[in-house]
Amino acid sequence: MTQTRQHEDESPRPAARSRTAVLAERIPIRRIILVTLGILITVGVLLGSWKTLTLSEGRISGAGWRDFLVFGVALGSIYALIALGYSLVYGILLMINFAHGEVFMMGAFASYYVAQSLDTAGLLESSPVLSILILLLVATAASMAVAVLLERVAYRPLRNAPRLVPLITAIGASLFLQYTAASFFGGNSKGYPDIPALEGTWTILGIPIAKTLAITIVAAALMMVGLTQFISRTTTGRAMRAVAEDKEIASLMGINVNRVIVTTFAVGGFLAGVAGVMFALVFGLVQYNMGFIPGIKAFTAAVLGGIGSVTGAAIGGLILGLVESVAPVLLLAGIHVPAPNQLRDVVAFSILVLILIFRPGGIMGSDQPERG
Amino acid sequence: MTGSELNRRAVRAGLLGAVALVYLALAGMIQKFDERNLIGSFLTLGNLLMALPPLLTGYLATRPRLVAGRREAAGPRATLAAGLIGGAIVGGITAAGVALVEALPEGAVRRIFIQVSPELLSILTFGRGVPVGLALLLVYGAVLGLLGAGFRLLPERIRPPIGVGLATTLTFALLQRIFPPLLFELGLDTRWLYSPVLLGLTVPGALLVFAVSAGLTALWGARGPVVRQRVRQLPPERRRLLNGTSLLLLAVVLAVLPQLIGSTLSQVLGQVGIYLLMGLGLNIVVGYAGLLDLGYVAFFATGAYLTALFTAANRVTSLGDLVEPAFALHLSFYLAVPFVILVTAFVGLLIGAPVLRLRGDYLAIVTLGFGEIARVLVQSSWLQAYTGGPQGLRDVTDAAIGGVGFRDPQPFFYLVLVFCGLAIFVSQRLAGSRVGRAWSAMREDELAAEAMGVSTIRFKLLAFAMGAAVGCLSGAMFAVQIGSIAPASFTVLVSITVLAVVILGGMGSIPGVIVGTLLLIGLPGLLDEFEEYRLLVYGAALILVMVLRPQGLVPNVRRMRELKEDEAAQDQWLKTEEPPAVTVGGGGGAS
Repeated sequence: MTQTRQHEDESPRPAARSRTAVLAERIPIRRIILVTLGILITVGVLLGSWKTLTLSEGRISGAGWRDFLVFGVALGSIYALIALGYSLVYGILLMINFAHGEVFMMGAFASYYVAQSLDTAGLLESSPVLSILILLLVATAASMAVAVLLERVAYRPLRNAPRLVPLITAIGASLFLQYTAASFFGGNSKGYPDIPALEGTWTILGIPIAKTLAITIVAAALMMVGLTQFISRTTTGRAMRAVAEDKEIASLMGINVNRVIVTTFAVGGFLAGVAGVMFALVFGLVQYNMGFIPGIKAFTAAVLGGIGSVTGAAIGGLILGLVESVAPVLLLAGIHVPAPNQLRDVVAFSILVLILIFRPGGIMGSDQPERG
Repeated sequence: MTGSELNRRAVRAGLLGAVALVYLALAGMIQKFDERNLIGSFLTLGNLLMALPPLLTGYLATRPRLVAGRREAAGPRATLAAGLIGGAIVGGITAAGVALVEALPEGAVRRIFIQVSPELLSILTFGRGVPVGLALLLVYGAVLGLLGAGFRLLPERIRPPIGVGLATTLTFALLQRIFPPLLFELGLDTRWLYSPVLLGLTVPGALLVFAVSAGLTALWGARGPVVRQRVRQLPPERRRLLNGTSLLLLAVVLAVLPQLIGSTLSQVLGQVGIYLLMGLGLNIVVGYAGLLDLGYVAFFATGAYLTALFTAANRVTSLGDLVEPAFALHLSFYLAVPFVILVTAFVGLLIGAPVLRLRGDYLAIVTLGFGEIARVLVQSSWLQAYTGGPQGLRDVTDAAIGGVGFRDPQPFFYLVLVFCGLAIFVSQRLAGSRVGRAWSAMREDELAAEAMGVSTIRFKLLAFAMGAAVGCLSGAMFAVQIGSIAPASFTVLVSITVLAVVILGGMGSIPGVIVGTLLLIGLPGLLDEFEEYRLLVYGAALILVMVLRPQGLVPNVRRMRELKEDEAAQDQWLKTEEPPAVTVGGGGGAS
C-alpha cells in the first residue's frame, strides 16, 4: 500500500496549477502526519515501558507480569473465538456483522440458565465434565440459532443493497438483541454458578494457571484447529472458500450460495457460543450488554490479524488480549498515570484506530483491503 | 392467484404474527402498556398491541400481488378465509404458549422470562383462566384477522378516510398528555373529550375525533387535487405570501407552545431540541456527505465539556468538596459558544483527517472507537482535574441574558428553538450550495466525483468539521439545560440514537430529521412506560426502515433515487403499459 501511494505521489501532474497547489502536492501531508504519529507512538511506548520497568517503588514483580500474560492469553483466546465469526462473515459477504457480539451474549445467557438448573440438580458438582459439555452444547445451539435468524431477517433482504445499508441494520440488530435480552431476562447482571472442579489453579510447566483460564485456552485452541480442518478438508469448507472467492462463479459451479452463507453464520455462531461459555466461566457473570464491548474488541482483533483469515483472527486475538492486559500498566504506570487499568479500553480502541489507519489489511491479511 | 397459494401465505403471515405477539408478551410490553388507557377503559395501549399482530396478519396476508406487472387481488370469500386462517394461527399459537406456561410447574417459565407473570397470562386469556380463555384467544385472533382482511375488501373510496380516522384517533389518544392542558389553557372544557380519571379519550370524544378526521379526509380525497392544482397555479408572489404566512403561523404556534403545555412537556420539547441539533449535525455527515459516523457523541461531549470549561463550572473532589477544574475561563455563554464551535470543528478535523481514506464500514468502526475513547478518557482519573472524572462537572453557568435565566424548561425551549432554527437554516443553505452539491456527488460516487474535480479530501474534512460544529451546539445546550454533565450521558447509545433519528426520518432530509426526532425522542418523552423499551424500538426501527423503506419516512428526493435506482430499472418495463388492477377468481378458484 505504501508502495502504491508513493507512485501516486510522484506521478507527473499537470503543470498549469497554482503554486500552492503544487507545493501542497509535493509535500505529502498525510504521510507526514502518519510518520510523525508513528514516531510519537514508538517513543511513547519505549519511554513508558522503560519508566515502568525501572520504577523505584511499586514496581511490578515477575510473578505479576506472568499473571498478566496468562490472563492476556486467555482473554485473547476468547477474543479470537469471537473474531473468527466476524472474519468468516466478512470473508464471504464483505460486511461487518456488528451484532456478532450479541450472538455471543445470547449463547452465554442460554448456558447460564442451564448452568443454574444443573447447579440445583447438583450435577455441576458431581460430574463437571458432562455439565461443561452440556453447557457448551446449549450455548452453541442458541448462538447458532440467533446467528442464522439474524442472517435471514436482517441481512438477506439487503444482500445487494449499498454497502452501508447492511451495516446500519447490523447496528440496529445489535441494539435490538441487547434490549430484547434486557426485557426478556432482566437488565441486572447475573452471577454465573461456580463449577467447584474449576476452582484453584493447575501448574503447567511450572506456571500456576487458574483452571478456568487453562480450559479457555485449550478450548479455543481446539476450536481453531477444528475450524481450520473444517475449512480446508470438508466439502462445505471448500464451498465456503469458493463463495468467499467469488459468489457468482461459485453459484455457477453448482454451489448453493445461500446455504453456504447460512452455514458460515452458523459456524461463526458456534464459535461465539463456545466463547460465551468461556467468558462466563472466567468472569463469572452474564449481562445483556456483555457482548457489545467484547464484540468491538473481537472485531479489532479480526482486523488486526487480517480480516478474512483464520490464523489472522487467532493471532489478532492473542495480540489484543496480551496488549490489553499488559500495556496499560506497562506504558502508563511509569509516567504516573493514576489507575492505568481504567484505560484498558482506550488501549484496545487506539489499536483499532491505528491499525485501520496504518495497515487496514492487518498483519496476516493481504494489503488490499479495498476489494469488493 | 390461487386460493391455496393465498392460504399458504396466510399461514406464513400467521406464524410471523404469532412470533410478534409472543415477542410483545415476553418483552412485557402488553402488560406494561395495559395501564395506559387510550379510549375509555375499554381500549388500553396493551390491548392495542395485542390486537395489532392478528389485525396486521389479516391485512398483510391478503395483499394483492404483482404478477407480471398486474396487481392481482383475490375474491372476497378467499380473502376473508385467508384473514381468518392467519388470525386464528396467531391466536392459536399464543394460546398454545399460554397453555404450556400453565402446564409447567409454577414459576418455571418466569425464572427465565421474567415478564411472564400471572397478570400477563390473565390479560392474554381475558381473565377467564385456562380452557375458556384459550378458546377466547383463538376466536379473538380469528375475528381480528377477519377484520384485517375485511378492511382490504372495502371500496377504494372508503378505505383512506377510515384508515386516517383510526390513525388520528389513536394519535389523539396517545397524545393525551399534550392536548388536555393545551385545550385547557385555551379556555376550553376538555372533560367531554378526554376523561380526567382514565386520562384517555372518552368514547364520545373518540367517535367525534374519528368522524371529523374521516370526514375531512374524505373531503380532501374529493377536493384535494383541485386545491393542490389551484395552489400550483398561484402567481409566484401570492405563493410566497402563502408560504410566508404559514411560516409565520408556525412561528407563532412555537412561540406560545411552551406557555400552553406547561413545564413538564416543555422539558420534553427541550430534549427534542437537543436531539434535533445533534440529528441535524449528523445529517450533514451521514446524509449529505455519506460518511457513517458512529462516534458522533464525541462532538456532543466536546461541546458540553467545553461550554462548561469556558464559562465556569465546579467539579467534586474525592473529599466531596467543590473546586474549580484545572482549566476554566469565565466567559459568558454567548461569548463562549463561538469558541466552542471553533474548537469542536477543529476536533472534527482532527478526527476526520486520519480516517479519510478509509472505506465506509471501516470509517464507521473507527469513529465508534473514537467515541468510546473520548468517553473513557473523560471519566478516567487521569483527566479528573479537568473533567471531574465519573462525577463530571456541575454548576455550569446559566446562559442568562440580563438576569433572565434559561434553566427552566419553558425559557430553555426558546433558547434551543433559536439554535435549532439557526442549524436548520445552515443545513438548508449548505444542501443547496456548491459544497452541498459536491457532497452529494461524493456520496453517490466518490471516484466519479474526484474525476469531476471535486476534492474529496477537502469536502470530507469540511463535512466532519460542519457536522462537529452543529453537533457541539447540542452539547452546549445540554450543559446549560441541566447545569451538570457526567460521562454517563455520553455513551455510544447516544450516537446510535441520533443515527436512528436520521435514518428513520430519511438521510439528507431536514423535515425527515425533525419528524424522526419527534417520533423517537418526543413520543417516548410523552409516554413514561415507553422509556424502558426506547432502545429496543430504535433497534427494530433501524432494521425495519433499512429493509422496508431505506429512504426514510420523509425522504430526500435525490437520496431516494439513489437507493431505488435498481428497483426503478426493474420496474421500467412495467411503466410502459399501466395495466389495471384485475380481480381474479372467487371462492378460491383458479385464476
